[in-house]
Amino acid sequence: MKKILYVAQREFIATAGTRAFIFGILVTPLVIGVLILLVPWMSRQDPPAIAGSVAVIDPTGQIAGGLAAYLEPARLEQRRREAYRRIQEAMPSALRSASGMGGPRGDAAQEAVGAVLGTVPQLQVVSLDAGADVSSAKEGLMASRAPDAPGARLALIVVHADAVEKKPGSDRFGAYDMFVRAKLDDRVTEEIDDGVRDAIIGARISRAGLDRVRVEDLTTVGRVSALTVTAEGEGRTNEVLNQLIPMALMGLLLMSVLMSGQYLLTTTIEEKSNRVVEVLLSALSPMELMVGKIFGQFAVGLLVLALYMGLGLIALLSFASLGLLDPALIVFLILFYLLAYFSVGAFMAAIGSAVNELREAQGLMTPVMLVIMIPWFLWMPISRDPNSTLAVALSFVPPISNFVIMLRLASSTPPPLWQTALSIVAGAAGVYASLWFAARVFRIGLLMYGKPPNLATLLRWARTG
Amino acid sequence: MSDAIVLRGLTKTFGDTVAVRDFDLVVPRGGLYGVIGPNGAGKTTIIRMILSILLPDRGELSVLGQRSAMEAKDRIGYLPEERGLYKRMRVGQFLAYMARLKNADGADLRSRIRTWLERVDLAGVEHKRCEELSKGMQQKVQFVAAVVHRPDLLILDEPFSGLDPVNQRLLRELVGEEHRRGATVLFSTHVMVHAEQICDHVVMVHRGEKVLDDRLGEIRARYDPRHILFEPMDPAADVASLSTIAGVERVRRDGTAWDIALAPAASPAAVIQRVAAAIPPARVELRRPSLEDVFISIVSAASSGGDDAKLRAAIRDEGDAGAERRP
Repeated sequence: MKKILYVAQREFIATAGTRAFIFGILVTPLVIGVLILLVPWMSRQDPPAIAGSVAVIDPTGQIAGGLAAYLEPARLEQRRREAYRRIQEAMPSALRSASGMGGPRGDAAQEAVGAVLGTVPQLQVVSLDAGADVSSAKEGLMASRAPDAPGARLALIVVHADAVEKKPGSDRFGAYDMFVRAKLDDRVTEEIDDGVRDAIIGARISRAGLDRVRVEDLTTVGRVSALTVTAEGEGRTNEVLNQLIPMALMGLLLMSVLMSGQYLLTTTIEEKSNRVVEVLLSALSPMELMVGKIFGQFAVGLLVLALYMGLGLIALLSFASLGLLDPALIVFLILFYLLAYFSVGAFMAAIGSAVNELREAQGLMTPVMLVIMIPWFLWMPISRDPNSTLAVALSFVPPISNFVIMLRLASSTPPPLWQTALSIVAGAAGVYASLWFAARVFRIGLLMYGKPPNLATLLRWARTG
Repeated sequence: MSDAIVLRGLTKTFGDTVAVRDFDLVVPRGGLYGVIGPNGAGKTTIIRMILSILLPDRGELSVLGQRSAMEAKDRIGYLPEERGLYKRMRVGQFLAYMARLKNADGADLRSRIRTWLERVDLAGVEHKRCEELSKGMQQKVQFVAAVVHRPDLLILDEPFSGLDPVNQRLLRELVGEEHRRGATVLFSTHVMVHAEQICDHVVMVHRGEKVLDDRLGEIRARYDPRHILFEPMDPAADVASLSTIAGVERVRRDGTAWDIALAPAASPAAVIQRVAAAIPPARVELRRPSLEDVFISIVSAASSGGDDAKLRAAIRDEGDAGAERRP
């Protein structure tokens, strides 16, 4: 046992003590953090100020005025402010302060709002004759003309004659056609589009002899978000986080299993290819060596898991959403990491012992990688319906079971206790089977040099081993 | 006291190849045994079976009184033919790790490692990474790893290959010291001269079978000289004509000298007298059989006319390839 611990200790230090490991494990979250801060900053960069005219061919004579009023810079800015306020309300506080939107006051507030909203476009509405030639009016949209040149247009709106009043015998209103210059900012296009719609609706309402303010009043209901009722009380339902947590937990599980498994593979191949393995085998049995190595990398994976888990908890804490994570899930995460890692890791050790260099391991790794990828492919269907037949069945097929049950446990409808228990038993049986297989392959493979074996050879070794 | 190593009827096959066949060996405690034979003879397989790294298909063994080396691993030191170190590990750490794996984790471990490094002229490399050392230095570090825990049984597989003559001599001395300390030493080599220089008992292996197992002195006595080395005073003398002299079976050129084979039952002393009388010699002497000669004579007798020159090349230092692939 003491020897196993020595091997595990060396394995851990040789892996986690390297500059590459420390760099990799610290830098990855750092990059993610920087990206989180950088993306809002980059999207805040001002789009170029847009100025130009919008031509309107309006046979009804009731639209151009409404559109001009809608596109007034002051009103544009007011609407943007309104939209911004809604976004801010929906955003968790941590993200708000990270993106520099955290309740600014005074000048700073103006500046921040301006930065987020961008410069308001200066749009001038030009009314053309109702009978004007559409194709010649389109000429103004050509990119060959500078937007501010005389006769140049950003957009051309052709309102249908029956846009405000139905044609006799028709039960539908007409609409309008919209033509824009190439590469026009889509936000501007959207503003103009909204403006025309607003003007048409306004014209129709007043034509029908109704009061627009009253109609809007009657047709507006305030938006609410659902509250989740739990034993601890009521809370805002956060749909995104509810989906994100199961995925994050399973991703964490996969990442740490894959990472430590990969390290196990590399160090085994290294020991074999630099021939140190024979000296080791004169001091301990292949089983002791393998178990020691597996334990050493288990600790490495646990370290990775703890680090990212810690980061995740800090993130949840700052989103004030720590309550969303059941502490039992952390215990399950560690348990299923143990089961998943031991079944996958043992295979990695076996493969590492059988080949002479990393390149040769690729072919043998395919089935292992496939098993690891399956939960990713099934993430969506399982998280949508965590108790479907597929999800339940896969919960008992090791080593996939470990990932699937983790996903289900973290979902909004966790599996019944007996399924969790059975899944643990299945996972443990998987661990036993792969350790048995790996031990036999490992012993033969370690001293086998030359042509790399295929999967059939490994199975033969396991049978005869 | 039981013997250090007892092998009975050990057989090991790899696929269709019989690597070792019905191999018997008894190494008493305190013995200094050399296992010799050309590359591919089965020496490494025998050693790996002694160490329980490979399990025999058939046969029994006991090592240091145990049924398997597994139970005596901590008392065995092993220098494998395929040498390896952890490249990124520091020399001191590597040696301490190896010693701990042999349950030698005393308070004096550090100082013992330092002493050993000084003995092999590697003082001051303790904090260097293994990959910073030359190949010869790495080999010496590995020898230290095999002896630092004071083993009762020291097994060295081709310990001299890859070393320069100065380090070969150093290693010979250190092996001698370990033997005098009381350790049983078993080493293998394909270079017969090395065995002749240090061991007191020789085991010859050819194609997985034992062809000789005796004390060096006994072997020399048994294979009494049947050849005379002859160099004429006058290089132009007709030495070939000596074959007509009574008691001479054959005369053949051997470099600048001549090799005169004696006829069965001929007295070496009488033949020397007659030869010297026929052609004045610059040098005439009885050839003592080297292990190489003994090996060749045994193997050729067994296989009735093998390729002697090829075999000789395989058991001389020039054929020091060593790194062939085999399980």
